[in-house]
Amino acid sequence: MIVEGNVLPLDRANVDTDQIIPAHFLTGTETTGLGKHLFTGMTGGADLLAAHPDASVIVTRENFGCGSSREHAAWSLVDRGFRAVVAPSFARIFFENAYNNGIAPIVVDASEIDALLRVPRLSIDLESETLTAPDGSVLRFELDPLRKQFLLSGGYMAFMAGKREAVRAWLAQRQLAAT
Amino acid sequence: MPKSLFEKVWDAHVVEPLAGGNALVFVDRVVAHEITTPQGALEIERRYGDELFDPARIVAINDHVSPAKDTETAIQAKVLRDWAKRHGIVLYDVGQNGICHVVAPERGYVEPGMTLACGDSHTCTLGAFGAFALGVGSTTQGGAMLAGCLVLQRPKVMRVTLEGRLQNGATAKDLALTVVATLGFKGGTGYVLEYAGDALATLSMDERMTLCNMAIEAGATTGMVGPDETTYSYLRGRENQPTGDTFERNVARWRALVADPDASYDRELRIDVSALRPMVSWGTNPGESVPIDGVVPAAANPESLRYMDLEPGRALRTIEVDQAFIGSCTNSRISDLRAAADVLRGRTVSIPTIVTPGSQAVKRAAEREGLHDVFQDAGALWTHSSCGPCLGMSMGVLAPGARCISSTNRNFPGRMGTGGRVHLASPAVVAASAVLGRIGSPDELGAVALVEAAR
Repeated sequence: MIVEGNVLPLDRANVDTDQIIPAHFLTGTETTGLGKHLFTGMTGGADLLAAHPDASVIVTRENFGCGSSREHAAWSLVDRGFRAVVAPSFARIFFENAYNNGIAPIVVDASEIDALLRVPRLSIDLESETLTAPDGSVLRFELDPLRKQFLLSGGYMAFMAGKREAVRAWLAQRQLAAT
Repeated sequence: MPKSLFEKVWDAHVVEPLAGGNALVFVDRVVAHEITTPQGALEIERRYGDELFDPARIVAINDHVSPAKDTETAIQAKVLRDWAKRHGIVLYDVGQNGICHVVAPERGYVEPGMTLACGDSHTCTLGAFGAFALGVGSTTQGGAMLAGCLVLQRPKVMRVTLEGRLQNGATAKDLALTVVATLGFKGGTGYVLEYAGDALATLSMDERMTLCNMAIEAGATTGMVGPDETTYSYLRGRENQPTGDTFERNVARWRALVADPDASYDRELRIDVSALRPMVSWGTNPGESVPIDGVVPAAANPESLRYMDLEPGRALRTIEVDQAFIGSCTNSRISDLRAAADVLRGRTVSIPTIVTPGSQAVKRAAEREGLHDVFQDAGALWTHSSCGPCLGMSMGVLAPGARCISSTNRNFPGRMGTGGRVHLASPAVVAASAVLGRIGSPDELGAVALVEAAR
C-alpha cells in the first residue's frame, strides 16, 4: 500500500490532543464527521490547514499526540484525509489509535525532520517501509509488524474478534488453576 | 528469576505472545464512560452481534458531563445507559456518579494485581492499588469489551525510588509534578513507573492515586505502587469486595505482589521527598513546573512563554490569577478537600473559585464534615461531582487570556477554554492563591501547620 500526497509541515513538538481536537467537540457517539474540528485548539491551526488543503501526510516533531486518550484525534485526522504522520516519536495511546484507524505513525530520526518539513510531497510505501521525497531520496522506517497488518488488512477489531476463543480457553485454564 | 511488580502482573495476564514483541494481554476490568465508550459499543452492536466478552467485568460511569449539558451529551449518557441496561452492566449515573477514576476505586472495583483498561488517559491513577491500569483509545477499549484483551508492546520498567517524607507544605501533588518535571513531558514514554522506597508507606491511598494519576503526563504507560497494609485497609469492608475469610485469602495472595528485592529495572530514578516544596506549573505542559519559591526559568520554551504571557525570571508568587479550581481525578478526594478547606476556613476568596468533589460519595462525606460550609462561607462555589472545568467541556470555562490556578493535571493550551491559561498546583496552594488573588502558598497565610495536620 502506497500513501502518496502533499505534506502539511507542522513544525512544533508536543502537539497534544487538546490542540488536535479540543474537549468541547467530544460530545458525539460516532467516529465520523470530526474533520471540521481538526487543529481548532492550536494557535495558527486553521491557517495551516487552509494553506495545505489537500495534504495527506503530516511531518512534525517529537511526542506527537500526547495527552488524552481521545481517539477523536485520529478520527478527525482521518476525516480530513490524513493517512500518515511522520515524527521522531509519538505518545503511546495516539500511536495505537493511529494504527487502529488507518493512519501510519512513521518514526524517523529527529535529524531528518528539518529536511522533511521542507518537501512538498512524500510517497510512503507501507509494505516495503520506505519513504521517498520528490528528489528521489529514500528513507527507511520500521512499522510494528503486527499493527502493520491492521493498516494493510482488516483492522484491530476484526483481529480481536478472531482471538475470542483462544482467550476463553486461556481464562478457563486460569480459573481451573485457581481452584 | 526475580521480578518487578509490573512483571508479576504482566506475566500473569499474557494470553499469548504476538508478532513484533506484542502480547495479547487479558483485561480483568473495563471501566466505561460516556465520552469514549459509545463508539466501540456501537461497533460491537453493528458488526459483532452486540456480543460482549463478559459484561460482569465492565463497570460503567457517566462522568465527564453529568448531568448532560445539551442534547449531544444527553445522547452520550443515554447510549451508555441503554447499553449498560441491555447487558446487565453496573452503571453509576446522575446522583451516584462522579469521575470514573474516583468512583471505580471507592466502589471497590480496583484490586492489587488486576489489569484494567479505560478509554481515558488518567486510568493510570488506579495503579495506586498495584494494578496495571491503562488508558486506551475507544477502539482498544472496544477490543477489550469484545475479546477480553488488549494488544500491547511490553513496556520497559523504571523504578522511581522515593526516600524520606513529605514536609514543608509539600503534598503528593507536588511529588507528582516533581516526577514529571524531572523526567520531562515525554521522558517516561515507553516505561511503567514502578514506585518504590520508604516514602510510600507514609502515603495514603488518596495520595498514591494523586501520584500515579500524573504518570501519563511524563508519557509513561502507567504508574504502579505495590500493595501494603494501607491498600488492604482501604479495601477491607468496601462495597463490591468480598468479606471475611474470602477477603483475607485475597490479601494473602496480594502479599506476593511486591517487587523481588533483586529485580532488575530498565532505568532508575531517585527522589528525596523530604526536600520537596510546593510546585506550580508556569508553562503549557505539566513538565514545565518549578517550586513555588522559584521563577520562570531562563531557558523556558518561547512558545510556552508567549502562550502564558510570561517572561523568564518572573517570580511565580507575583503572577495574578483570575480563577481557582479545586477538583479533577488528580485532587478531588476527601483528603484534597480537607486540605483546601483548612486553608479557606475563616478566610475569603478574592477571585471566582470552584470546588468540585470527585464523586457524589466524596461530596456527601465532605458535607458530613461541614466542608461545604467552609467553602461557601469563604465565597467559593461548591458544585456536584464531575470532571468540571478541568477540560473545558462543561462548566467553568476560561475566557481567552484568563489565568486559572488549578488542582488538575493538564495545562495544555486551550485545555480549560480557548486561550485560557492554567497553572497546576496542589489543592492547598490553589486555596491559598484563591485568597491572595495571585499564586501563593498557605504559609503566606500562616496556614502551613494546618496543611501538615491534614496530612
